Amino acid sequence: MTPAATSPETGTVEEAASGAVKRVAVIGAGTMGSGIAVVAARAGWPTTIYDLDETRVKNGIETARGFLAKSGKLGKLSASQVEAASANLTGTSRLADLADVDVVIEAVFEDLAVKKEVLAGLDGVIAPTALIHTNTSTLPVTAIAAGSVHPERVVGTHYCNPAPMMDLVEVAVSPRTSTAAIERTRDFLRRAGKTTVLTKDRPGFIVNRFLIPWENNCIRALEAGLGTVESIDAAVTGALGHPMGPFKLLDIVGLDIHHQVASRLYEQLRDPRFAPPPLVDRMIAAGDLGRKTGRGFYDYGDTKLFGS
Amino acid sequence: MGAFRTVAVLGLGLMGRGIAQVVAQAGVRVIAVETDQDRVDTGLAAVAAFLDEGVRRGKVTAEQRARTMEKITGTAVLADIAEADLVIEAVVENRDAKREVLAAVAAAVGPKAVIASNTSALSVTDLAEAVPAPERVAGLHFFNPAPLMPVVEVVAALQTARPVVETLVEFVGEIGKTPVEVKDRPGFLVNRLLMPYLNDVVAEFDADLASAEDIDLALKLGLGYRMGPLELLDLIGLDTHHHATTSAYEATLDPQFAPPPLLTQMVAAGFHGRKTGRGFRLGGTDTQEASR
Repeated sequence: MTPAATSPETGTVEEAASGAVKRVAVIGAGTMGSGIAVVAARAGWPTTIYDLDETRVKNGIETARGFLAKSGKLGKLSASQVEAASANLTGTSRLADLADVDVVIEAVFEDLAVKKEVLAGLDGVIAPTALIHTNTSTLPVTAIAAGSVHPERVVGTHYCNPAPMMDLVEVAVSPRTSTAAIERTRDFLRRAGKTTVLTKDRPGFIVNRFLIPWENNCIRALEAGLGTVESIDAAVTGALGHPMGPFKLLDIVGLDIHHQVASRLYEQLRDPRFAPPPLVDRMIAAGDLGRKTGRGFYDYGDTKLFGS
Repeated sequence: MGAFRTVAVLGLGLMGRGIAQVVAQAGVRVIAVETDQDRVDTGLAAVAAFLDEGVRRGKVTAEQRARTMEKITGTAVLADIAEADLVIEAVVENRDAKREVLAAVAAAVGPKAVIASNTSALSVTDLAEAVPAPERVAGLHFFNPAPLMPVVEVVAALQTARPVVETLVEFVGEIGKTPVEVKDRPGFLVNRLLMPYLNDVVAEFDADLASAEDIDLALKLGLGYRMGPLELLDLIGLDTHHHATTSAYEATLDPQFAPPPLLTQMVAAGFHGRKTGRGFRLGGTDTQEASR
């Protein structure tokens, strides 16, 4: 057991453990933030979305409510569940409004300085016993936690996209994270309907740690002429039972996003397996980012090409 | 008219019997060869048992089962394959053994018969070299269990004639599988991609990234994989993977294929996965390495 995290003027994180979570805040009203807000609101917690200006806040709430309404239409939630979850959602652009939350989930732009600043800003506002979750995919949780005067209550919680639909949350633990914070985090996520796995704070955690070199290897096999886009996808889905082949997946993720994640992991690990293969650079240079541009490894033919 | 009329399958181990079944199920005559009659009987009984299970689960009708078994003739005499126009070799994964068998096959069949090896880890080019007229030799890599896995890699050796590859691609389609044409490189395509991933997972597990359970769970839930990498290794057999990845490493000197030390230790300890009851996800708390 890790010794209980203590702070002379504030008591222990454990003291808050018995208290159930009553209010949740999500910092950042983007895709991940609004998705995570859906998760919390749907689980029954009053949830406040915070962002820098009212327009972003409004958009975030609209996105979250829109998702809930769609769940209702698809029969995933009853009308009363949609109504209750939607009513749980509020928004603010004033940090002071978050004073009484028990869990803050930070889901701002994937930039270390920005995330640290967010945590530093929370220090003076929220209770020292409140949990801080940071939703990062490629940044070190330990470095983000260093932005807080209470790093022991900072836990990495990496949601998969789309957050309301994907069961998995990777719980990443820094050397400074307290055992109580880990336990409370897992309990919170369990109540939110998520399945958690516990991982050390290492680049890529579990999923991206293994996915990125896998996809890079598939791209290199393509570059080396070991197969075609179609044959490699067919071989992988057929022989390994993956739900989709590497190139179909890369087209969905976006070549630019793959490049960004791979580069960030490479910068931290200095292991050439993580370095994006040259073909990815070429495709990005050509504007072939995947489905979103109508062309990636496959041609989706639904976007007008230049000159067509 | 199919690509081949009579297919000989050599070796009725796990792979050979599955291949014999797949080919016979497609209505093609199969000559199933083993080294003695006992092995022939065991192999054919296993095919019958697999089909019985299929009947019980409603995947195969009793009539299909009977017709499949009728198509297979067992023999312990290699000369009986004389009529075969395709031979699929599925004997033990050992270079010398396979080269010897392939040379004997070449002496037993007509000069135009296509000779295929179901090797997963050996060089098809090197195996073909043991056969007179090697242009008719290729790899036909089935995955385990052959009756259920939808993909077959068609491996062109350096010597393989183009029409032989094309005929094999056609044949794989006829027996209801998806052909994937691949180069004769270590691991071909699927294992070339799979082995570094499995090695990487073992190394990170050894480095305490997360528990074996959580690594498997994360990859299943996060990526929709049917099996996590460590339970997959238990299924494949740690010894089998160790052998394959060591072969690939020796052939490429690429560190991605080098067996991670924990894998080597577990193989040395006899923790081979399901077949020995101990592995990454098996064996309980007494399996010190795997229970952290």
